[in-house]
Amino acid sequence: MSAHGFKSVFMAASVVGAALGCYLVSLNVASERAKLERVEGKIVLAQQDIRVLQTEIGTRGRLAQLERWNARFIRLSAPSADQFVDGGFQLAALVKPDKHPAIDAPVVLASAPAPEAPVRPVVISDADDTPPPAVAKHPDAADMLHTASYEKPAPVAVKPALPPVEKRPVKSVATVTAKPAKSATADPLAPLPTAASSAKGGASKPVSAKPKDITSAR
Amino acid sequence: MNAPTPALVARPERLRLVGQRRQVLAVMHQRLMFAMIVYAGIIGLIVLRILWLAAFGDHAGRKEGVVALVPARGDIVDREGHPLARTIDAWTISLHPKKIIGNKLDLARTLARLMPEKTEADYFAMLRSDKPFYYLRRRSPPALVQAINAIGEPGLAIDSEPDRLYPQTSLAAHVIGYTDVDGHGMAGVERAFDKELSDPARRGQPLTLSISSRVQQALENELNAALNEFSAIGAAGVIMDVHTGEVLAMTSLPEMNPNVAGKATPEQMFNRATLGVFELGSTFKPFTLAMAMDSGVVSGPGQIYNCPDALPVYGHVVHDTHPFGRRCSVAEIMMESSNIGMAQMADQLGIQRQKAWLKKMGFLDRVDIELKERGRALNPGSRWGPFETMTIGFGQGIAVAPLQLAMGYATLFNGGIYHAPTILKRDASHPLPQGRRVFTADTSYRMRSLLRLVVMKGTGKKADAPGYRVGGKTGTAQKLINGRYSQTINITSFAGVFPMDDPRYVIVVMLDEPKATKDTYGFTTAGWNVAPVVSRTVSRIAPMLGVRPDKGREPNMAEVLPFVHEEK
Repeated sequence: MSAHGFKSVFMAASVVGAALGCYLVSLNVASERAKLERVEGKIVLAQQDIRVLQTEIGTRGRLAQLERWNARFIRLSAPSADQFVDGGFQLAALVKPDKHPAIDAPVVLASAPAPEAPVRPVVISDADDTPPPAVAKHPDAADMLHTASYEKPAPVAVKPALPPVEKRPVKSVATVTAKPAKSATADPLAPLPTAASSAKGGASKPVSAKPKDITSAR
Repeated sequence: MNAPTPALVARPERLRLVGQRRQVLAVMHQRLMFAMIVYAGIIGLIVLRILWLAAFGDHAGRKEGVVALVPARGDIVDREGHPLARTIDAWTISLHPKKIIGNKLDLARTLARLMPEKTEADYFAMLRSDKPFYYLRRRSPPALVQAINAIGEPGLAIDSEPDRLYPQTSLAAHVIGYTDVDGHGMAGVERAFDKELSDPARRGQPLTLSISSRVQQALENELNAALNEFSAIGAAGVIMDVHTGEVLAMTSLPEMNPNVAGKATPEQMFNRATLGVFELGSTFKPFTLAMAMDSGVVSGPGQIYNCPDALPVYGHVVHDTHPFGRRCSVAEIMMESSNIGMAQMADQLGIQRQKAWLKKMGFLDRVDIELKERGRALNPGSRWGPFETMTIGFGQGIAVAPLQLAMGYATLFNGGIYHAPTILKRDASHPLPQGRRVFTADTSYRMRSLLRLVVMKGTGKKADAPGYRVGGKTGTAQKLINGRYSQTINITSFAGVFPMDDPRYVIVVMLDEPKATKDTYGFTTAGWNVAPVVSRTVSRIAPMLGVRPDKGREPNMAEVLPFVHEEK
């Protein structure tokens, strides 16, 4: 009897609970929707701002204004017919690097330790076919390095034949300091000569090697 | 009065009272019940409504109308999508004299300082007037709005209202047009497409024109330079795609600024490219030759005509600027722009065939384009006799708009098919309609080398842009002033096509009353003033349009060069 009496109460409670749950879900959905709409509204406002800013930039950078700036300061002009090339090959064919005589790029082996400098070949030269006497007298690892180089031994200004060993360091300094004027034409982007004479000697090699490749390809 | 006695039975009046009470109670119960039902019904309705809202309704803070970005009037963009006209919110400062509470003299002084376009006295008069409302400034800068706001005067109202802005200012002004204060189109595309631009359903999408603003800028700039150099009173230019009829650039000078359209003079408002019709002279000659070739009157560029120094016909005498005084080929007639040779060709062609052809090309009608500013081509009408046929043959006595001339050249060089020019970009929503054939493809092909010859060796040498194979025809027409052809005042024009070995674009430029300068050695003919404009413009726009310059390519010049007599 009592159970029967409570049954209706339970029924009512569960119905109320279910209704409340449904209502809460609906409320949740509504609040999420509201948030979404607020975000959408913000997006629209931001788009409006973007539009205004774009319009302002467009107005300030209008073509007539750009043209005026160009005419006054930048002075760019339309490319002429000769500036168009068919492809990479034609472009490469247009580039003809200056042929540098190897005299501009003597190989200075900067890796040589300072104390051994007198006995190692500082400047490679075949102006006189006879190798420097120091090399002949003291064959060591430095000579092998010289042999492995791709550098075509190039003539240096004719030196007095077979300078004595103790004079050589003086001469090497002279060549290194005399180089900048010549090598400026060879490679304008190379570092300062006193700082990295070795880098220069290395960099000038591929440049002088390149024209050979192109001409052989043609 | 008797003393009350115990009653053995209820007295009848008492019984009557009980019956009455009961009746009253019943009525009261009835009324209470009715009121309760009414209240319960109302509460039930409210509960139902609340439940309904909770389940399906919108929440309270919902904002309507901001969910989509729809401008008050549609944007106009060019073919690459750069905006040419936009509606943005602009600040408007207005004055309500009735609501002023501060010292009017001080206020007038402040306003005159902030907005110096009117004097103190003017502002004071406005403040004291009985009018309810004045616009002080529309489209005012934010700094001014801030300063006005800082005055704190309730009579000064600051509102933001939609305002039409043309970011490129005067670029393509005659194509775009402008709007009035209420935002209705008054000219150009704004007027022609007013309905589309203001329709809430369609204004969200921008209206895409066929204009390319970079090409337009190049044309305007070069043409304006020529206008100033030769002190011309006006100029017009059109660049069109020959295959689709899309107008890539169209300008009329002097230019106007649509942002302040009210300040433009009628001369600036006038669209010379579509509304103005001009006798464009020799630029007409290729049509006559094409008609003659198509109808078999002229067999080819090698046909010989007798070209004396002067040709007396039908009671008039036709002259040449460069008289041959000998027999000459059609190629030479074209190259040196000989009126005498052309007149003979037109005479052989006859009135009827000429009229039919001009009709097919649309030269006897109104300009065929979406804009409302359209001129009607002028022709001799009822006076169209054999002599008029001859003069039309070399471009006198018929007046067309520069756009029509461009359309004619497009027809002649796209293989002979007429497509109406359009100001809207051709795409899926605006496809290329079926054209109508006017010239045969063969005639179209053979005209290429003839017009290239004019630029290589003839009157149009200065129009050549190296590598771009420009072909075209100069035209110098005497201006009709008070019914007489002036001997000194000209309209010069050039109609060109490039690249001539496979025509893609046509360019027409025109100068109205150019003056001679030192550099032109006193000449005012087209070869000296408009031809260089074409050369410069083509060198600028052709790379943008994807035309690759190539000095090794030419149309088949072997067709015409053998018929040109080289002076030794």
